Amino acid sequence: MAKILGIDLGTTNSAMAVMEGGEPKILENHEGNRTTPSIVAMSKANERLIGLLAKRQAVVNPKNTIYSVKRLIGRKFKDAEVQRDRALFPFEVRESVQGGIEVKMGETWNSPEVISSMILQKLKADAEAKLGETIDEAVITVPAYFDDSQRQATKNAGEIAGFKVRRIVNEPTAAAFAYGMNRMKNEKIAVYDFGGGTFDISVLEIGFDAESKEQTVEVKATGGDTHLGGDDFDKRIIDHLIAEYKKQEGVDVSKDPLAVQRLKEAAERAKHELSTAMESEINLPYITSDASGPKHFVMKLSRAKLESLVQDMIDHSIALVKEAVTAAAPKGAGLKIEDINEVLLVGGQTRMPAIQEAVKKLFGKEPHKGINPDEVVAVGAAVQAGILQGDVKDILLLDVTPLTLSIETLGGVATPMIQKNTTVPTAKTQVFSTAADNQTSVEVHIGQGERPLMADNKTLARFILDGIPPSPRGMPQVEVTFDIDANGILSVSAKDKASGKSQTVKIEASTSLNKEEIERLKQEAATHAAEDQKKREVIEIKNQAESLVYVAEKSLKDAGDKVTAELKDAITKKIERVKEVKDKDDAEVIKQATQELSTELQKIGEMMYKDTKPNPEAAGPQPEQPTQ
Amino acid sequence: MDEEIKNTEPELDELGVCQKERDEYLAGWRRAKADLANFKKEEMERVQKMVKMGNENIVRDVVAILDSFDLGITATGAESAAGKGMMLIKTQLEDALKRHGLQPIRAEKGTMFDPTHHEALGEIESELPDGVVVEEIERGYSLNERVIRPVRVIVSKAKQSK
Repeated sequence: MAKILGIDLGTTNSAMAVMEGGEPKILENHEGNRTTPSIVAMSKANERLIGLLAKRQAVVNPKNTIYSVKRLIGRKFKDAEVQRDRALFPFEVRESVQGGIEVKMGETWNSPEVISSMILQKLKADAEAKLGETIDEAVITVPAYFDDSQRQATKNAGEIAGFKVRRIVNEPTAAAFAYGMNRMKNEKIAVYDFGGGTFDISVLEIGFDAESKEQTVEVKATGGDTHLGGDDFDKRIIDHLIAEYKKQEGVDVSKDPLAVQRLKEAAERAKHELSTAMESEINLPYITSDASGPKHFVMKLSRAKLESLVQDMIDHSIALVKEAVTAAAPKGAGLKIEDINEVLLVGGQTRMPAIQEAVKKLFGKEPHKGINPDEVVAVGAAVQAGILQGDVKDILLLDVTPLTLSIETLGGVATPMIQKNTTVPTAKTQVFSTAADNQTSVEVHIGQGERPLMADNKTLARFILDGIPPSPRGMPQVEVTFDIDANGILSVSAKDKASGKSQTVKIEASTSLNKEEIERLKQEAATHAAEDQKKREVIEIKNQAESLVYVAEKSLKDAGDKVTAELKDAITKKIERVKEVKDKDDAEVIKQATQELSTELQKIGEMMYKDTKPNPEAAGPQPEQPTQ
Repeated sequence: MDEEIKNTEPELDELGVCQKERDEYLAGWRRAKADLANFKKEEMERVQKMVKMGNENIVRDVVAILDSFDLGITATGAESAAGKGMMLIKTQLEDALKRHGLQPIRAEKGTMFDPTHHEALGEIESELPDGVVVEEIERGYSLNERVIRPVRVIVSKAKQSK
């Protein structure tokens, strides 16, 4: 089945994704990048350049380098927006015969559709090269505020590029899809999209009719500023750095192209760094020189400073959000801020903590931001494509285990068999052993939860496997298998390898905890993590002490009269000491007693080496973690 | 006669449905298996690429230091003791990066501007033909044949005096 390409045809950058194995996946372009600049040019050598290559020559070929054509597509030449943008474009824009728009590139006049189609064509070719198959169909996204004519023009661009355009999807809707909000739920969603060159806010209402099983997505309101974006932030930083340097050193570096280039890169790096760090140092040696010799650029930029540089733009965006949500129709959605159920962040600039904070403060809830904000729209377009090509329905919906499934081992430790979030069906087998000599039965205790001690987790089942032939501890091999089938039914079986005896239990409801219960168990695990860790350590120390006592007693017995009575006596004393303290909860004391015994025990080896070869059984290996 | 046919119809249908379902499931299962096999292959490629990419990110940051060395050597004078020392450290760093696939990209004065390796920072009127490199502003670099930074240049513009 041919794939449908999901395309985010952006003002500054475009991205594409496909469904693969039921998951959306971003496709890299020919240059190996995950986004492609939405720029087309006719070079001086009369070559058509698209994307990064067009961008690289933009400064020297401004008249023939077409960017932001999305601002023109499907519009009338007389539109106020077109007239305003036209003044900013270095390339020529004129009215077409039908009152539309044409831009000049090279010797020819092209409609915005044709320019856009060139970008789409490149994406198509790159995707085909990447996937090794032809792609004829696409889902393309547009801003929610696009009118019919703009949508139709975008669709035309797709057709010119050789696609059958299966659907034109709103960008905020695609973002909501990417976050899986195409489920059966009635919700009001605000999408805050701060891209490189534009800021959009959209308010959506997802409705679901339970009877007809039909879902509707209604755009309640849109707003924004088509000339506000992350690029403005970059410019503010560079201007600040140049001004500050002039103040400090009295040198204006803004006319030196190399200095500006280095500052630009450093500013971008600092901006990214300040999303995680509180301070970034910009260090550019030999930035310039004057009569006194070379000069260096060393400046610290704090997150607070960066925020103060752009605060007005953030505030402006928040004011626009408020308007879009609360203003009466048609200006806004006529809702209250608290009516919004979900908030999504889209666009690279939303990585900035100050923006995330501002949005969170306004809505009083954590916005969704898990998916790369540069890619979320393309991902959503691919999800829509997947629904159209039947992928989402076709592929078996595979469940995951919500919580870890474990088995109880010595000291009440919950030893994980199947980790949480493992995709089912799955199976896991591990061999366990006994904890005491001549133990003829083991109890298999199955639990569910994230805590390291079984007592704190939920017990699913217990059973006893008996008939194990009497043998020293650690010898028997009991094979335990956890198997979850596609319906979430867990079977646990235990088999003694020597006798061949086995026991099986089936647990029907292993994955059917309700959502609250799962959350509660996860929360508990997180809050108790530190104390649990400590408890577990104590148990491990106790277990070590116990097995050392066992080894020591066995060694004494095996060595017989090869060791002096003196040493025997000393070791016995140490063994008694360990036995005495091992059931108390003082880890340090147990550790010390174990250590002393271990030191003493080594003397047996030393003594035996003196006159004979070592007895291979004298120092038994640490037994595997045995079941109780 | 008619009734008999009618009676057998639902059975046939049921079998038909089952067969159809079986085919669907079998196809789905095959697809899932194929997806997994393909995914594994892709994952291998991806891991290799991740390693490369990881290198790329480091190298991208480090080439900025090479720039500083270049400027430092020019400012100090390549013949001075300090300049020579700096030159040696730069060469050492460069050699280390070369072993990992780093190659400088140069743009000689007079070569045709080529956006696959060059990025134009500006243009200037000159005696040279239109659209050729007049000056290299910042050296470019490629890592394992992939351009990680284009060489930044100033391009010539034909003189306006007509």
